[in-house]
Order: sequence, then C-alpha cells, then structure tokens
Amino acid sequence: MTGVALAATVGALFALGTFLLLRRDLIRVVWGLAIISQAANVYLLAMGGIAPATADSVPILAGHGDHVPQTADPLVQALVLTAIVIGFGMTAFALVLSYRVYEEHDTLDVTELGDRE
Amino acid sequence: MTATPVGTESALVIAPMLVVLVAAVGTLLLGQRPRARAAVSLAGGAGYAIAVAAIDWYIVLAPDAPGIATYQVGDWPAPFGITLVADGLSAFMLTMVAILGIASLVFSTRHLPGGEGRSYYFPLFHFLALGVTGAFLTGDLFNLFVWFEVMLMASYVFVAYSGGPQHTRAAFWYVTLNLLASAVFLLGVGGIYATTGTLNMADLAQRLADPAAYGLEPVPVVGLLGLLLSVFAIKAGLVPFQFWIPTAYRAAPPQITALLAGATKKVGIYAIIRLSFTIFAGAEIAVDLPLPFLDVAIAGDSPLPFVGAALFVMAAGSILLGGIGAVGRDSMEGVFAYSSIGQVGFIAIPVAIAATAAGPGLRKFAIIAALVYALNHTLAKGLLFLAVGTVRSATGTSRFADLGGLARRSPPLAIAVFVGSLALVGIPPLSGFFGKFLVFDAAARAEAGSVLVLLLVGSLLTIAYATRLWNQSFWGARTDAVEAATVDSVQVAILVALAVAIIAVGIGFEPVYQFAETAAEAALDTEGYVDAVDPQSASELGGSNGGDH
Repeated sequence: MTGVALAATVGALFALGTFLLLRRDLIRVVWGLAIISQAANVYLLAMGGIAPATADSVPILAGHGDHVPQTADPLVQALVLTAIVIGFGMTAFALVLSYRVYEEHDTLDVTELGDRE
Repeated sequence: MTATPVGTESALVIAPMLVVLVAAVGTLLLGQRPRARAAVSLAGGAGYAIAVAAIDWYIVLAPDAPGIATYQVGDWPAPFGITLVADGLSAFMLTMVAILGIASLVFSTRHLPGGEGRSYYFPLFHFLALGVTGAFLTGDLFNLFVWFEVMLMASYVFVAYSGGPQHTRAAFWYVTLNLLASAVFLLGVGGIYATTGTLNMADLAQRLADPAAYGLEPVPVVGLLGLLLSVFAIKAGLVPFQFWIPTAYRAAPPQITALLAGATKKVGIYAIIRLSFTIFAGAEIAVDLPLPFLDVAIAGDSPLPFVGAALFVMAAGSILLGGIGAVGRDSMEGVFAYSSIGQVGFIAIPVAIAATAAGPGLRKFAIIAALVYALNHTLAKGLLFLAVGTVRSATGTSRFADLGGLARRSPPLAIAVFVGSLALVGIPPLSGFFGKFLVFDAAARAEAGSVLVLLLVGSLLTIAYATRLWNQSFWGARTDAVEAATVDSVQVAILVALAVAIIAVGIGFEPVYQFAETAAEAALDTEGYVDAVDPQSASELGGSNGGDH
C-alpha cells in the first residue's frame, strides 16, 4: 500500500514540476525545478525500500552485536540528505539568477527573453 | 576498524584533489590580494600537474607499477565506504585536464575577464578542477553525482560571470537544463540501487556479472543505464542534447570555455566509457536488435549493444549538426562551439564501435581511437578557445565582420591557430592525424561503410569551417580593430606552447599510443578493477551472499 502511495506521490510531483517548468514565468520554472528535484528525492527514498531493516541492509550497525534497530535503509537517507542540500542550494542560486535576469532584461517572461537577441 | 597505514599509492590517488582543494581555499582567503592570489593559483596548478604526473608514473606507466590504486576514505572497506580509484583510464583523462588546466590558468593570470567577481575567479577555477578530478577518480556512483554537481556549480557561475544580459540568460538556461539532468541522474542512481543493492562501482560490476548469486534481475539496468547515458550525453554535448552549448560557450570567458570543451566534456565521455565498459559490460542480458541502416547488427549478451546503438545515432547527429552549424557562424567562438559538438561526435563514434564490436581486439582498438581523439580534441580546442581569448583581449571582438589580416599582425598567433585548425582537420604529423586515422581505422575494421561515409562528410565539413575561419579573420585586409590591436605576448606564448604540444604528440606518437592502450586496457579490465577496489568480496564471490561481512 505504501508503495502505491509513494508511486502516486512521485508521479504527481513530477507532473506538477513538469507543468511548472513549461510555464512562461521564470519564477515558476524555478519552482518546477525545485519540485522535480524533491520528486527525485522522494523516489530515492522509495527505492531504498520501506520495509524494516535487518543486519544485512544496515551493515554499519551489524558490528554492534545483536541489537539491530528496526529502521529503513540508512544509505538512501544519506543520499537524500546530500541531494536535498545540493537541491536547496541550487534552487536559491536559480532564484538569484532569475532576479538578475529580471534586472538585465526587465522581464521574467520566457518568450520575451527569447525574442531579444 | 584497524588503522592500516596509507600506502604511497593510496596517498597519490587523493593527491590531486587535495592540491586543488587547498589551492581553492587558499585563493579564496587571498581574495583581496591579487598578486598573492595569482601566485597561489599558479602554485596550485603546478602542484596539480605534479600530482597527476606522479599518478601517471607510479601507478600506471612505471615498469613495476600496479596499474591501479585505491584510496578508501576513512578506511572503511569498499562496498560501504567511499572509494577513490586511479587506473589507466582515470590517469589518461587527468593528464589531459592537467595540461589544459595549466595553459588556461597561466592565460587567466595574464588576462582576467572583467566583472564584479574578480576575486572569486581563481577559487571557482580550482573548484571546477576539483569537480572534474573527483569525477575521474570516484569509484562510487552517487559520488559521481556529487562531483558532477561540484563541477557544474563552478561552471554555472562562469557562464554568468561576465554579467551582461545575454550571459545571465545563457546561465539561466544552462542551470535549468543541468538541474533537470541532475534529477534524471538521481533517478538512475536510485533505480540502480533498488535493482542491485549497491552503488559502489566495483561491487556493482561484480553483482551484475553474477546476478543469480545475488538474487537480482539485471534487465531493468539497461533502461537505467539509458537514463544515465542521457545525462552524460548532456555533459558531453551530444545531439540531441547539444542546444545549450553555443550560448553557454559564447557566454563563458574564453579560457573557461577551453576548460568546458577540453575537460568537462571529457567527464561525460569518461563516464560513458567507465560505466559501459568497466561496470555494465559483464551484465548478462540477451540482446537482439538489427539495425540494417547502420551496417551493424546489434546482438550480444550485455547492455553494451544498446549503448552502442544510442551512441551511433547521437554521434552521427552531432557530427552533421556540429559541422553544418559551424560553417555558418559569424564569430570565432561560434564556429568553435559548433565544431566542438561535431568533434565530440568523432569521439563518440569509436566508443559506439567498441560497444558493438564483435571481438575484444576491435573493442580495445576502438577505445584507444576514442581516447587519442579525445586528447587531440582537448589540445586543439583548448588552443583555439584560448586563441579566441587572445584575439578578444587584443582587438575587443571576435566577430568575423570586424576581423581580418590577423596573420600579418601577429604571425606567431596565426601559426598557433593554423596548427590548431590543422589538428582539427587531421593533417600529419599533428596529433589530429593519428586521432582521425585511428577512428577511420576502427570504422574500417568494424566494416561499417555508412559510418565511414559519415566520418568523411564530417571531416570535409571540418575543412570547410576551418578554411572559412582562416580566410575571414587571418587573411584579407586589416580592419580598424586589428590595426589598433596590442597582442599580449604571454598569451601568444601559451598558444605556441600548446601548438608545440600538438606537434610533439604527433611526432612522438608511440608513447602516447602506449598510454592510450594502457588506458583502454584499464577500461576493459573489469576483474582488475573489482580486485583492486574490493579484494575481500572478490575472493568471496560465489560463496556468501555478499555484503554481510
């Protein structure tokens, strides 16, 4: 059941992100990118599997005796943390860049930007 | 975890990364002192070259060299920790970056592009080099993603560096495209983790070679490899992912464009070769895909034929589009940007031939051809983009309409550009001749007639745009801009040095060929790679289920 819910969430996020990415307003394009990178993060978590962990899937904890706590795959969590940090920084950068585009071109409209050579 | 002493070779593997990191931080701290900043920067570049040369010799080329060395970060054993691996292929790529990096760095100390962020130029330069180096050395798929991001972040800033309207616009689309590509990269990485249960490249190769022992189903890996391939094709600028190149290359400062074309593009090529041949080649997946129009029947028992088919199509598009596009441009960097698309096609064709090759002999030969051509492209394109920088800082323009008679104005500059253009065309005894010759030879050995025709058309287009560029800017009457030009002698000296390097590679080709051969062998030696990275688990193969030490 969680699998279906996650798949639906990832699909909906990608759909929304793609929709925003195709808008004419640059800010919406940036939001589209942010949502797509979040969708990729949710997808990464789903790829780790949501089932409780065993000593096999949590090798670092396996060395500490019998007490393997019930936990989801820690590797994907580490990956997602890294990806979130990178995505966060890049969203901020893209927003600043779109502000600069606005300063230089006096518009945030994609079609108008394209027309001015 | 026992503290094992780090061997010399292990230390060498991280040496180039540490050197650029220190240089990046050092130049960041010295932001307010231009002279000290440039000195630290040059020292960092020299240190980087020394570290790479040490890797070349002590790990790859010396008579008693191990051929491959690893560094386990934090001393965690291979599949769990982060592994850095230096082998022949990485070393070959690093060498190209080191040569071009030094040229570009010295060039930058002579002529910093204007803009508000001058004090951030050198730190960014080193961070770009750090990302490229990390991508070449990492032995972990997710870390490859991280190093790609490090490299890209620096390149985003460089594309926007000059700060004009067209620069910010180019940067915005460059950032958008690459953020999308990053998301796709993550999808590929996540899928591979879910399918195989590992992201360590050596572990991955091992599991794919023996899927039954690990209880995994290798077929989805073909599709995931396709996702990754599209990401790497964006970095390499292959058609249909080439559209960002002309605007981004025009927007970035010329000495950075030289690096973008010479180094970051090679990261895409490297990732394609490393993943396809070292990692995924062993996956047993039955393939039967006839492609009569390319004279190649795609069949085999690994994902490689798919890679080959995709690369053939992309490379053919690149050669034609790049060549035709370059003929019609109205500025020097426009011609070289489109030419760069076409030249990457020439690198991708032998990779595709290697992927679809019938026997190991042809496969190795085709990879050698790709590597030699990549080296030629790095040297020649590096020279030509730096020449654009020289012409721009001398005359203030690089548009053909404002140029003419440069040959008389600065003969050394003209000769260097002439050598670079001839290397692109492929005239003996320059490096380009052997690059082109080996690519044609590989196509002939694969008995792919239509590919030969394609290569021939691409070469004719190269001659056309190189001639046109020469006629428009170096011959003819001097324009006002050229008349008033003051050509920087150090910049010209760098160009001449690169031209000499191109000639030297062509004349003393034997050692270069041997280096490329070692690199190709390393690319195809999955077993050696697995052994070096993860000796414990390699010896256990077939025994336990893996991963449960």
